[in-house]
Amino acid sequence: MRIPILKLYNYLLISIQTEIDDQTAIQFQEDLLDKIHKSGTSGVVIDLTSVEIIDSFIAKVLGDVVTMSDLMGAKVVLTGIQPAVAMTLVDLGIHLTGVATALDLEQGLIKLHQELGE
Amino acid sequence: MDSQFKKIVLENSDTIVRMWVEEVNALKDANYTSSISEELFDSTNREFVNVIFTRIKNVEPAETLEDFAEKLINLGWPLSYITDGLQVFRRVTVDFILSQSEKVDSNHISLVLQSVDKWVEPLIRQLVNEYSGNWENVVSLQRLALQELSAPLIPVMENITIMPLIGTIDTERAKFIMENLLEGVIRHNSEVVLMDITGVPVVDTMVAHHIIQAAEAVRLIGAKCILVGIRPEIAQTIVNLGIDLSQFPTKSSLRKGFTTALEITNRKIVDLDTKVDNLENMINSLHRE
Repeated sequence: MRIPILKLYNYLLISIQTEIDDQTAIQFQEDLLDKIHKSGTSGVVIDLTSVEIIDSFIAKVLGDVVTMSDLMGAKVVLTGIQPAVAMTLVDLGIHLTGVATALDLEQGLIKLHQELGE
Repeated sequence: MDSQFKKIVLENSDTIVRMWVEEVNALKDANYTSSISEELFDSTNREFVNVIFTRIKNVEPAETLEDFAEKLINLGWPLSYITDGLQVFRRVTVDFILSQSEKVDSNHISLVLQSVDKWVEPLIRQLVNEYSGNWENVVSLQRLALQELSAPLIPVMENITIMPLIGTIDTERAKFIMENLLEGVIRHNSEVVLMDITGVPVVDTMVAHHIIQAAEAVRLIGAKCILVGIRPEIAQTIVNLGIDLSQFPTKSSLRKGFTTALEITNRKIVDLDTKVDNLENMINSLHRE
């Protein structure tokens, strides 16, 4: 299963709608970096509103994707993390430091817009 | 044998009651019930005796006992009144039956004790149950009330929410605070949350840990957490304990925190009309006339 990556003007938009397993996560990481490379985008929003569970591996992949995208010159914002998910992550000691977050997709886009100064 | 004792007791109930009342009255002065008026004490005693005797007669349903217990609980009588009263009753009854019996040997005494116990024990059990049930009820209601008060969330402005914390924070409450905080941030769509710890008496490593975790979680769901109300002694404790709070902003008072929150959300408070302006306007209008 692949997670669709949508292009919106010069941003990339990813809404994760299903529970992600490890394989899908790795696949997603490759797809996203590929897409950033091809489209030369400068901002990415990953929306996690419908994700109920994030385990330590998925969290690590997400953190990695953010760092990797940053290396490729694309700023990533994670949006819509559910309270339960946030609590689990904090309990697991995963703080995702240095990762920008926003309440929902709209505010995520506003944040990207502000930070990229476009 | 049991019915025989019962007969003795019921036939001489007046004597037993008199003896019982004397003993209980002797207890009264030394004890809890000294502040209760004579009349009330007497009437309650009478009722108590009635309850005991109806129970021995085995005719009355259990409701009388429950009613009596409920009445005592509502009046705030101590449980020891009931237990003492029943102990005294047991002693008096045993004494009385023994004094009425012709032949007294150890076998007989044990029989008497057994049957009197059989009358009194269920009474004690039921009354104590009524009392403890009532207490448990009160405790659980209080716990509920405390929980409702423990993590309030106030959406003061659009995008700004305040959570004032009062009282000691333990692990259970910290969990509750975090849940409430995160749910509230999502529900009110807040950008900034002010966590006010003015009312938290002690901030130790555990409390600080919980606060940091909550702030981290708030950051993960996409809002900012500002810790306000840090008193001088709290600041000292935090530094002395080596707790690192540098990841998120802290302010000494709610007012300062609120100003920061306004800055973050690109807003500020503007006075509508200064007094000087008002005065000038007045003078101008006077000139025109």
